[in-house]
Amino acid sequence: MIDRQEGFARMRTLQFIVLFIFLVLGLRIAYIQLFDRQYKELARTNVMRREVQYPPRGEVFDRRGEYLAQSRECYDLMVVYREMDKRGFDTAKLCNIVNISKKQLRQKLADARMSPRMPVLVTNYVNKEDKLRLDAANYRGFHTVYRTVRHYPLHVGGNLLGSLGSVSEAFLKKNPYYKPGDYVGIGGVESAYEPLLRGTKGVKVRERDTHGAIKGSYMDGLFDTLPVPGSNLESTIDARLQLLGEELMAGKVGAAVAIEPSTGEILMMVSSPTFDPEELVGRERGNNYMKMLRNKRNPMFNRAVKGKYPPGSTFKLVQALIGLQEGVLHPSDRYPCRMGYTVGRLHVGCHAHESPADLRFAIATSCNAYFCYVFRDILENRKYGGVKNGYDVWKEYVESFGFGRKLGSDFLDEGNGYVPDRAYYDRIHNGYWKSLTVLSLSIGQGELGCTPLQMANLAAIVANRGYYYIPHIVRSVDGRDSLDRRFYERHYTKVDAKHFEPIVEGMWQGVNVGGTSTAARLEGYDVCGKTGTAQNPRGKDHSTFLSFAPKDNPKIAISVYVENGGFGATVALPIASLLEELYLTDTIRRPELVKRIKDMKIYYPAYDR
Amino acid sequence: MTANRHNSLFDGVDRWAVLLYLLIVIAGWFSITAASYDESAANLFSFSHFYMKQLVWMGAAWLVAIVVLLLDERYYHMWAYPAYIGGLLLLLGALAFGKEVNGAKAWFEFGSFRVQPVEFAKIATALAVARVMSEYSFSISRTGDLIKIGFIICLPLFIIILQNDTGSGIVLGSFLFVFYREGLNKWLCIPVLLVAALFIASFLLSPMALLILLILICTGSEMMVSGQIRSRLIFLAALFLSALLLFSLGALVSPGRLDGYEALLIVSIAASIGVAVYAFRANLASTFLTLALFVGSVVFLPTTNYLFNSVLKAHQRERILSFLGVINDPRGADFNVNQAKIAIGSGGLFGKGFLQGTQIKNGFVPERHTDFIFCTVGEEWGFIGTSIMLGLLCLLILRLMRMGERQEEPFGRIYCYCVASILLFHVLVNIGMTVGLMPVMGIPLPFMSYGGSSLIAFTILLFIAIRLDAATRQFSFQKL
Repeated sequence: MIDRQEGFARMRTLQFIVLFIFLVLGLRIAYIQLFDRQYKELARTNVMRREVQYPPRGEVFDRRGEYLAQSRECYDLMVVYREMDKRGFDTAKLCNIVNISKKQLRQKLADARMSPRMPVLVTNYVNKEDKLRLDAANYRGFHTVYRTVRHYPLHVGGNLLGSLGSVSEAFLKKNPYYKPGDYVGIGGVESAYEPLLRGTKGVKVRERDTHGAIKGSYMDGLFDTLPVPGSNLESTIDARLQLLGEELMAGKVGAAVAIEPSTGEILMMVSSPTFDPEELVGRERGNNYMKMLRNKRNPMFNRAVKGKYPPGSTFKLVQALIGLQEGVLHPSDRYPCRMGYTVGRLHVGCHAHESPADLRFAIATSCNAYFCYVFRDILENRKYGGVKNGYDVWKEYVESFGFGRKLGSDFLDEGNGYVPDRAYYDRIHNGYWKSLTVLSLSIGQGELGCTPLQMANLAAIVANRGYYYIPHIVRSVDGRDSLDRRFYERHYTKVDAKHFEPIVEGMWQGVNVGGTSTAARLEGYDVCGKTGTAQNPRGKDHSTFLSFAPKDNPKIAISVYVENGGFGATVALPIASLLEELYLTDTIRRPELVKRIKDMKIYYPAYDR
Repeated sequence: MTANRHNSLFDGVDRWAVLLYLLIVIAGWFSITAASYDESAANLFSFSHFYMKQLVWMGAAWLVAIVVLLLDERYYHMWAYPAYIGGLLLLLGALAFGKEVNGAKAWFEFGSFRVQPVEFAKIATALAVARVMSEYSFSISRTGDLIKIGFIICLPLFIIILQNDTGSGIVLGSFLFVFYREGLNKWLCIPVLLVAALFIASFLLSPMALLILLILICTGSEMMVSGQIRSRLIFLAALFLSALLLFSLGALVSPGRLDGYEALLIVSIAASIGVAVYAFRANLASTFLTLALFVGSVVFLPTTNYLFNSVLKAHQRERILSFLGVINDPRGADFNVNQAKIAIGSGGLFGKGFLQGTQIKNGFVPERHTDFIFCTVGEEWGFIGTSIMLGLLCLLILRLMRMGERQEEPFGRIYCYCVASILLFHVLVNIGMTVGLMPVMGIPLPFMSYGGSSLIAFTILLFIAIRLDAATRQFSFQKL
């Protein structure tokens, strides 16, 4: 026994212990409830299941309202491992419905087992009928998610339209909007207008219980958002023209681009070889992609905007325009040509034609010597005190035509082309060079590199007599002309409009009177054209043709470039001419020519070794 | 004294204790409702729902409380031993014929409801402990009496452990609280607590370190009790020196045969025999007790692994190891506690509101209407709710101690303290486990967890204390 006083003291100690225990519990609870924020977040992630609602992707029409790229509904089949029927189910039937092998299904279920609460993709591109069959069979734990898949009814414009692919790891890191499993546009229109086409994903936040079963919408849908469908694009493309262009370019490597000069709208853009965009859709995408990747002609390379070619004789137009503007050339100036231009040991060859020629005739007949004179006069202009300064001026003019730089079209992967600068020649010639050193530039040879788009743009500039609209592929978004401002502005070259008349005259003569381009003549449509034959160290010359029509109020400007096609008049010219014929007259009156060109196969030692 | 005792049922009844009890039970009912409410159920008032059943249990508990208040207080003193025997028989009965729930064979099943005899065994043990300790001849500092009281506690504990219901058994350890109040030497309390700590530490420490700690703790506490510091220090020094000597000798005779732990163990056992003889001769009860504790621990600790693996079930082992941080697995063993913490933590200051708890409603918290009922309070009523509940429980326990202190008879005082200690232990372990301060043991939160047998047993436990207190007060009123 202890006395009263000791007992009292011990009671106090025990009271203290009780209070201490409750204090510790209280502090711990206060820490959990008031100071540690993580539990609130964890509680949310516990009960929330975010179901992404995919919007239908915007569709792409051609300028006359035909579908270029369509969106069709398709479904992703997902599985949540925990919710699956544990007693097993008819796997053979499931595989049969969605057309996958049992081995694939087993593999997917093994994946799903790794994260049993998460929906895991079993297979994608399940079409509507199969989805309905799945719904009818009602497999527990499996559900479908609405997506859209591309369909290309015309099977044209592979490089032009681009394709859809799953987002890559690297892309995900840079673009937080995307989540694994999302599709993103790759190349062409699909990637250039990705933010418009994709729309905005919606989300349905569902509340789930500890077994993962859905109990309904979380907070009565407070956090739900509806998907916003992607915008529909009206493309500037004329599908008929595109179709014919691809047919004509078959079997050849090169590019053909047609532009409406008064707007800068790209009417047709063929990069050959091309591919059927339908091949890059659905489950076969991977295989076809690899096949194309192994193709030496590289069909996935969009030559029309990325290729770099010497422009050849078509560049004489630029040369003449610069000379006229600089005052070193007058339309009536005549220069002699004796099968070419010879200074000392340097010789630039030419073909047999009347001599001496004036400017119009020189263009019509594509005289090399004439433009050697012009070019030298530009560079050696006393005004600038030296060839190198003269070269700088020349280069500035050339760039004002859109060469040597990106035009700023809506193609994200547009190439620069190449116009060498003074430093380049200083480097390769040890600082000592003169106009004769770079003489090959006068006829569009040498280091000069242009994209077919830039060449078509040159045709448009000449057609417009001195300005261009930046070529673009999309006309309107959801029926509204809400394109970037830059596509509505005229971009002037540094050459005045009046200097264009003799050039246009020369191009007209070349087709309609006599010259290298007479085969391009279309009765009643005043076609203007300029051939080009670009020398090429690796095989036969490249064949190119630059044209627009009609001469007044031109409707179409076109550039065709066929690698190793020989003379400009042999391949490029008939292709351009047929395209113009179709566009201007809505008919083809020369089906035998179409057939001949279509069947023309060119041998490519550089690719097909 | 007995003439007009029952002029009123509530004469002398401590109104505060009853009020606190009612508040806690009603708060418990709301929590159970929130934890088991299912808005999609066809009939919200069907008696298949936990909250409707609990209403019935509450009514039954209050009836029982009135019966407890109506009985003469002397019966409780009188029936303490028979109740104890009855409690033991119930426990044995459950062990023999009981139903196994969650691996513990600790339940009687009558149709659709189950009774856990251990709840009632607690009352019986509390009564028996109060009866033994209130005997006039009882002295807590006498060895024989301590052994007697230890026996009374260990007997039901042993059966409970056999039932595989370790969690409930450990509750009986809370009687240390009472012993302290009744004059147990405080230097004896410390080694008891420390040995409990060592049990936990045995998973983390090497046997050698454990043995050295044990020797130091026991000698140290004995030193404080006897006050003979010098001789005990000499004893310690001699012990370790001879262990060192034995180790070096062993290394000389046959290297590698005898390691440091074995040398120390041999020396300790030899020393224990010596100390036993010394304590017996000098009649030093506390020394004897410390020694018993030491020997017990030495035998016990190496077998912890065995005990750990055989007595505890796999999920309990996992929970203890997870609590100690030996294993860390949020999806597995930690899952329950993590989900409980998430539910409580997501409540914030004000809570989500009645029936608005997402974690509770969607079943993320296991046992949410029974052992983890406090999570509902935390999630739906926030820190304000949890503080109020903690306050009510704390006030009730302090009130019980106060009631104990004003008793004339030691029986009443000891019993009140027993009730307070049982409640304190339950609250500490139950709430402690929901917030990750304690390992998960399946014991209910008094008056709040769903369950008829638990609610009725705790009600009886409490109201006996109130009845004993009421008698004292009636008596003192009459004296005035």
